[in-house]
Amino acid sequence: MIGYILRRLVSVAVTFIIVSLIIFFMMHAIPGGPFDANDMPVSQAVRDKMMANLGLDQPLWVQYTRYMWGVLHFDFGVPYQSPGETVTQLLSRAWVPSLVLGGLGVLIGAPLGILLGMAAALNRNTWIDYLASTVATLGLTIPVFVTSMLLILVFAVWLNWLPASGWGKPERWILPITAYALIPLATYARYTRSAMLDTLNKQFVTVLRAKGLSERRIVFQHVLRNSAIPLVTVFLPMFIGTATGSIFVEAMFRVPGLGAYFVSSIEGRDYPLEMALMLMITFMYCIAYLLSDIVYALINPRIRVGGEP
Amino acid sequence: MPLVEIEDLRVSFSQYGGQIDAVRGISFSVNEGESLGIVGESGSGKSVSCSALLRLLPATATVSAKSIKLDGIDVMRAGKEDLARLRGRSAAMIFQDPMTAFDPVFSIGHQIAETIMSHRKVGKREALAEAEQLLLRVEIKNARDILQYYPHQLSGGMLQRAMIAMALSCRPKVLIADEPTTALDVTIQAQILQLIKKVQAEFGMALIMITHDLGVIAETVDRVLVMYGGEVMEEGPVQQIFDAPQHAYTKALLASLNASFEPSRGDDSATAPALELRGLAKAYRIKRRKGIFNSYSDFHAVRPVDIVLPRNRIVGLVGESGSGKTTTGMMAMRLTDPTAGQILVDGTDISRLGPDALKSFRRRMQIVFQDSYSALDPMMTLTQIIAEPLHIHGVGTAREQTENALAWLERVGLPRSFGNRYAHELSGGQRQRVAIARALILGPTVLVADEPTSALDVTVKAQIIGLLKELQAEMGLSILFISHDLSTVKSLTDSVVVMHRGRVVEEAATARIFSDPQHPYTRALLDAIPATNPRDKRERTFLAAEQLEAATPRYTVIQTGLAPNATPRLITIAPGHRVEAIVTT
Repeated sequence: MIGYILRRLVSVAVTFIIVSLIIFFMMHAIPGGPFDANDMPVSQAVRDKMMANLGLDQPLWVQYTRYMWGVLHFDFGVPYQSPGETVTQLLSRAWVPSLVLGGLGVLIGAPLGILLGMAAALNRNTWIDYLASTVATLGLTIPVFVTSMLLILVFAVWLNWLPASGWGKPERWILPITAYALIPLATYARYTRSAMLDTLNKQFVTVLRAKGLSERRIVFQHVLRNSAIPLVTVFLPMFIGTATGSIFVEAMFRVPGLGAYFVSSIEGRDYPLEMALMLMITFMYCIAYLLSDIVYALINPRIRVGGEP
Repeated sequence: MPLVEIEDLRVSFSQYGGQIDAVRGISFSVNEGESLGIVGESGSGKSVSCSALLRLLPATATVSAKSIKLDGIDVMRAGKEDLARLRGRSAAMIFQDPMTAFDPVFSIGHQIAETIMSHRKVGKREALAEAEQLLLRVEIKNARDILQYYPHQLSGGMLQRAMIAMALSCRPKVLIADEPTTALDVTIQAQILQLIKKVQAEFGMALIMITHDLGVIAETVDRVLVMYGGEVMEEGPVQQIFDAPQHAYTKALLASLNASFEPSRGDDSATAPALELRGLAKAYRIKRRKGIFNSYSDFHAVRPVDIVLPRNRIVGLVGESGSGKTTTGMMAMRLTDPTAGQILVDGTDISRLGPDALKSFRRRMQIVFQDSYSALDPMMTLTQIIAEPLHIHGVGTAREQTENALAWLERVGLPRSFGNRYAHELSGGQRQRVAIARALILGPTVLVADEPTSALDVTVKAQIIGLLKELQAEMGLSILFISHDLSTVKSLTDSVVVMHRGRVVEEAATARIFSDPQHPYTRALLDAIPATNPRDKRERTFLAAEQLEAATPRYTVIQTGLAPNATPRLITIAPGHRVEAIVTT
């Protein structure tokens, strides 16, 4: 097991380097630079001086090596669009709302989705199943900015129960988190339902019934555990992937989160910020997949114990 | 009062497109300690009836009956508690495929102990101790270790033993065995059947044996119920059913059990053999993880084998699962690449030919697989499937190809009107006929038949064998018939090659193998064939793998005229009879 984890860590490191290379060179492949004439009407000499100060006159590979060397020391540079703070400071400021939004959204949506999926699988072809499937399908097919607008329309405009946008006070959180939670809820419900149905149709469930086990024990001990195995690989990455929040939800509800910086850093050729954001996402997904593989191996005796004894 | 009493049981399933009546008014009873066999083909309603007895049918089933009584309880009206008592304590069940009957994520010990604890108030430790005792009762030697094992770590035979131990854990009054040996090898089947008889006597249980195999019936039960199409055709003491069957269906079943065919008339060694395998071997690389690094070792699926398939003959290739017989067949067809050796087709070695050069040889050799369902493209009509080989090899115009395919449909005994149907609309036997037509439409000289009948019902099996035999004679085919079913091999083939653990251990003319087997493994295989009449049933002794090894035949230099060798190898002891043996001075 330890050997397995070590090998996976090495592959995570390699993945991280390859992805960082791709991002870096693609980022610079976009025409234009941070101080183009129409954005910043200064003389060529001043512009050259600014470029030299930031090291942008160096060859790309030098720039890349310098940046990655900084990353190794947790130095992600200074954003061009707000030079008063470091990228790290900017991220730690803007990440909090995104983390609250994404984290709470998943923490609320995932358990509800799992319960909904279970209820649907255990009551197959009844109204519960149809309701759950309808909710799941709607949640997956309607884009989040449409559900966001509907939520604003109903709860803010018509009923006037909740504020339409903004952040800060907890009552302003309710609508964006609800809008966000619908995504994991729908996804988890669908996956859980199909995994549970798969397991329920297995021969060993009939054997468990024939042994005289109670239905509750069959479902909660055997079926749940078996269904969890395929789900782990889907759920954990999704869970961690949400920590960056949602660009759309943040835009709809004017949440001062990370979302806006994804767009503005690319548009403004704000290389340090753009790179930092991308590396952050890459890193989190790498860790998420690593964790899900480890958990998968832990709960699945066919991998944990191996073949022939 | 009988232990099990079923009166006028009817079960139907609601499906897309209506109701299917699976069981149409059957009645039977079982007394304490009695053994009842229920025999019938797939779809006859035999398993459904017994699942109804424990209310194990899915929600799509509608069950009605005048009465279903088990151990004095009205099953139809049983509440939650009665049901928990019925399942496990009144009746316990064992199932066909032990590999899928255990929950893969819990250890064997856990699953047996859990059964004990759900019926009696005992602690986990006591339950595990009892589970160990039960495993010993079903002749599992290292019971304590087995408790910790997960299902995937055990063989099918071991798992079925553990399944029996689990069934015994609550001392049931009746044991229901639903095709308990169908998924197992012949030698394992004989052991499991003997074990079931033993524990039945020891625990004083009644037994309901559900099977499609009359041999299993002959070995295990006192009374037989013959089912067909959801109805009981005939019922009576086992000896009477075998000696004086009343119903036409029972007679047909028995006839297919004793079917035999004329041996084929081959041209003897005058011409070169149709197919010859020389030192053909297959090894797979196994990757093992050691810390961060991998280490590799070889798994020898097939050690170098020599097999000759004479022109116009049928050679049987027998062995259990894992013996390498299918791999050998696949290599002969160049569907799996051999690690070493030659494949001679009409004297040409095709083992190293590239795809283009191979194409003309592909016309001469075809294969029929065991699972006809997955062997036929579900998106193609039968005409398209049968005509496809013609298309690939560019034989005739499109119109001729279709006409040819339809003609072949008739030749394998299906109406021409089937041409526009799809594979899923056919029964297993009909699909296998289509697979045979597709294999033979190019007029090959060699046919590899890989267990073509082992997924079929007995009566259908006899028909397919009959068809193969007939076509073989008409076309002068040479068939390599791969099978684990020795009774089929006996009735169909001219000579037999026995494989064991990737090696050929014996080879001889069919009559000779069955009358004078030399290798201990061949003997074990033959001994495991179930009796074809209850009169012939007997106690068997089984040899472990080491005992088989130790019993390798020995010959002297004088007997064989060969140089002595200490490690076993194939030697010729009579014309056409080779056996793996040690030659001593």
